[in-house]
Amino acid sequence: MNAQYPITTTPKYNFPLPEENLQLPLDFIEVSMRSLKHMKPVKLTQENPTSFHQIPKKQTTLNPTTVLAKLKADPTKIPIVAMDVSSIRLGETEKGILIALRGAIVWKQDTQYRYLRLGPFPFHITNKTQLEISSLFRKHRQTIRIQKHTIPNIFYLQTRLTTLLERWIQSSVNHTTRRSLILWDGSLTAGTPETPTRDMAQLLEEARIRKNTILAFSKMTRLLFNGRRLTNLLSDHEPPCIMRIEDNTLYEGPMHLMGNIYVAKLTRGSLAFRMDVDKQVPHLHVVESVQKLLGNDVVLQSYPETLRLAHIFSTFTAIEVLGIQRCLFKEKNLKILAKPNVRRILFGPFGKGLEG
Amino acid sequence: MQIISFPNEEVGKGDYLTVEDFKTGKSLIVQVVDIQYANIPGIFEELLRNYNGDSSLQGEDIDPFEVATHVAYIQDARLLVCKIRATNINGDMVFTSSWLPSRSRAVIRKLPIERLFASAKNGNGYMIDLGETNEKKQFQVDVRALDGGLNIITGKKGTGKSHVSKLLTLSLVTHGAPVVVLDINGEYTGLGRTADGKPNDLHEKIHILTPKQNFKLNLGEFKIRVMLNILVNALHLPGTSAREFGRIWRFLDQNNALNMRELGEAIKNWKCNQHVRDALFSRYYTLLNSGLFTDEPSKVASFEDSIHKARVGGAIVINLRDTSTVDRHVLVEYVLGKLVDLLTAKKLRAIFLFAEEAHLYLRETYWDDIVTRMRHYGMFTTFVTNQPETIRENIYRQADNLFLFNFTNDHDLETVSRASKVDADTVKSVARDLPPHHCLVLGKIVNDFPIVTKVRKLDVQTMGHTRLFFSEIHPLSNHLASM
Repeated sequence: MNAQYPITTTPKYNFPLPEENLQLPLDFIEVSMRSLKHMKPVKLTQENPTSFHQIPKKQTTLNPTTVLAKLKADPTKIPIVAMDVSSIRLGETEKGILIALRGAIVWKQDTQYRYLRLGPFPFHITNKTQLEISSLFRKHRQTIRIQKHTIPNIFYLQTRLTTLLERWIQSSVNHTTRRSLILWDGSLTAGTPETPTRDMAQLLEEARIRKNTILAFSKMTRLLFNGRRLTNLLSDHEPPCIMRIEDNTLYEGPMHLMGNIYVAKLTRGSLAFRMDVDKQVPHLHVVESVQKLLGNDVVLQSYPETLRLAHIFSTFTAIEVLGIQRCLFKEKNLKILAKPNVRRILFGPFGKGLEG
Repeated sequence: MQIISFPNEEVGKGDYLTVEDFKTGKSLIVQVVDIQYANIPGIFEELLRNYNGDSSLQGEDIDPFEVATHVAYIQDARLLVCKIRATNINGDMVFTSSWLPSRSRAVIRKLPIERLFASAKNGNGYMIDLGETNEKKQFQVDVRALDGGLNIITGKKGTGKSHVSKLLTLSLVTHGAPVVVLDINGEYTGLGRTADGKPNDLHEKIHILTPKQNFKLNLGEFKIRVMLNILVNALHLPGTSAREFGRIWRFLDQNNALNMRELGEAIKNWKCNQHVRDALFSRYYTLLNSGLFTDEPSKVASFEDSIHKARVGGAIVINLRDTSTVDRHVLVEYVLGKLVDLLTAKKLRAIFLFAEEAHLYLRETYWDDIVTRMRHYGMFTTFVTNQPETIRENIYRQADNLFLFNFTNDHDLETVSRASKVDADTVKSVARDLPPHHCLVLGKIVNDFPIVTKVRKLDVQTMGHTRLFFSEIHPLSNHLASM
């Protein structure tokens, strides 16, 4: 029997022109502009950056078994693409909140890194504008049926919009790449209002069709294994290695894991990360992919440089916040006032912690 | 006081701003003495992220709201470090800074120099055009501010010190003042001519005295005090010999025989100790061989006559170029002695003395004399130097006006900052960045508001060019090039 040689074309990443496939950002811009249009000159209450809203999460205990794989860097060329999205709350107005979003895509071409930044998109989320934002969801998420009574609180719309932009970027990259390693920030958890299971399944399926491999790195995880934090499992193992945590179906409620959970310790150092990979990707392929990642990207402290850059390019610096505020001030006569710090008022120098 | 400025606001070092608080009816007048980048939170991260010198990281932005322009605007924000110069209270200028305007209400505006001077109630008297301000507006000062004062013009080589000195000299002459210039490099000898060598309007009023040529000394013009100063200070004659010389001088004076030939004869025949005679002879021959003295006064210009001509406006330029150190000392002793004599005898109302690199010819004891005693007689000196440490600290402290050009050396700036007319921070910060021909003017002449000005050009013959070896192509170099 003659075996056919597995001839494939040289993996080449043809990044789309920015104008292509930009339906959602244009909508973003339109909704963003409209949200700001009806804004009368208001005083924006600036918040203490440490007081940003955080949604508490329950720690979830797994009861898994593990599979350890030692890795060796594989220099076979493969395109690497990473993306990340950031949002920041610029402050509160009398009617709602002002936020800004930005996404970044970074890819490695030979020895060079390239990036595309989308945004910032400022949004004024009020009771009025959230309807428009919701229709944006409806337009782009056929799977979501948002009823009037289920319209999210305006304070949660920041997370919803951020995820919407992130999923669009992920989808865009999926559609324009082939045989590539795609690095996401976060996990492959679905079933949340922002990420319905069907959406995530669709993204993973598109990736599989185009022979892409999605590796989702979480900087923080609350998952425990036998009472130990997941990322501590590899502290006694020589890097580079990954450990697959099997039988990870213990997420409660609507949350659903769409990927297998791995712990990745790719370089020497104190850090290891949770890495989620599509459940339908065989373990051996995951090992090969991570080995190619090691052979093609710079990895420092177990974190790929491409993803690190995507994170850096998407996050807002303090000066950018000032720039957006100035932009809003110039366009909308928005004035910034410091929000009174209740703790500081009540307790003086002892008023530490989050602003009350 | 620190003020934030954005890139579209053109503010330079030395500019004035008003900080108006309309509610109180007061405004602060502040001067920008330093410009720094504003320390904005996150600027370091922003610059690091957007560093585009690294070709291994490139990309593009889709920025529909053009926030990047706003970010760049904030990135380039500057911090103006200002000094409070005065407070304007309902139009009255008060030179104190005990009041501060509201941070939130105050309106900050640029204050043009001409408006500053209008608000400082500057006189219209004897105005001279000094140059132009940062706003490219003509800058005039009242030349009377030089009257009765002590002035210093200093800056590093090639910045324009002599230029402003010439400008002041000509301005004083134009306004009828007598000026004596001790010209160490022969730079002022072209003052009476235009740049193309033609006689200018003041040609008749500029008297160039070149030692050994049209300027020689006659013993008959000397007072014994001046001659003894020359012998003791310039020629280091010991005290005993000086006393014997005094006796000889008085003898010759009584016999109406004060000339070099008779002086030589008298020393030869005078009954005195041989060592004293030798000492006197050695000084006598030094003076004789200098070529500065003549027994035929009718053949050369008399310094006193020149002064007389300059009484109603004129400059006497003593060209000290190509004179030896000893000759320079002799001449300066003579000129200063003569001026003091004329001033004490009230033959001269006052005189403006311009002394370039005075440390090269002024003896130690003269410095204090000039700033104290001679000033009271009516001799108003302007020192011009590129070595600020050669002027004593007490002179800086007593200077009424300071024309400060660029210095980059910290030691020089430290020396100059001792001037009492301004704070050290202003001198150090502003002077360091002055371009050529720009000077920081301090003192009475600018109503104690330090002003940066670009000194105007003069249509006079420039004589201060350094002779250069490579200024002309040597025939040999042509030959070598063709080989």
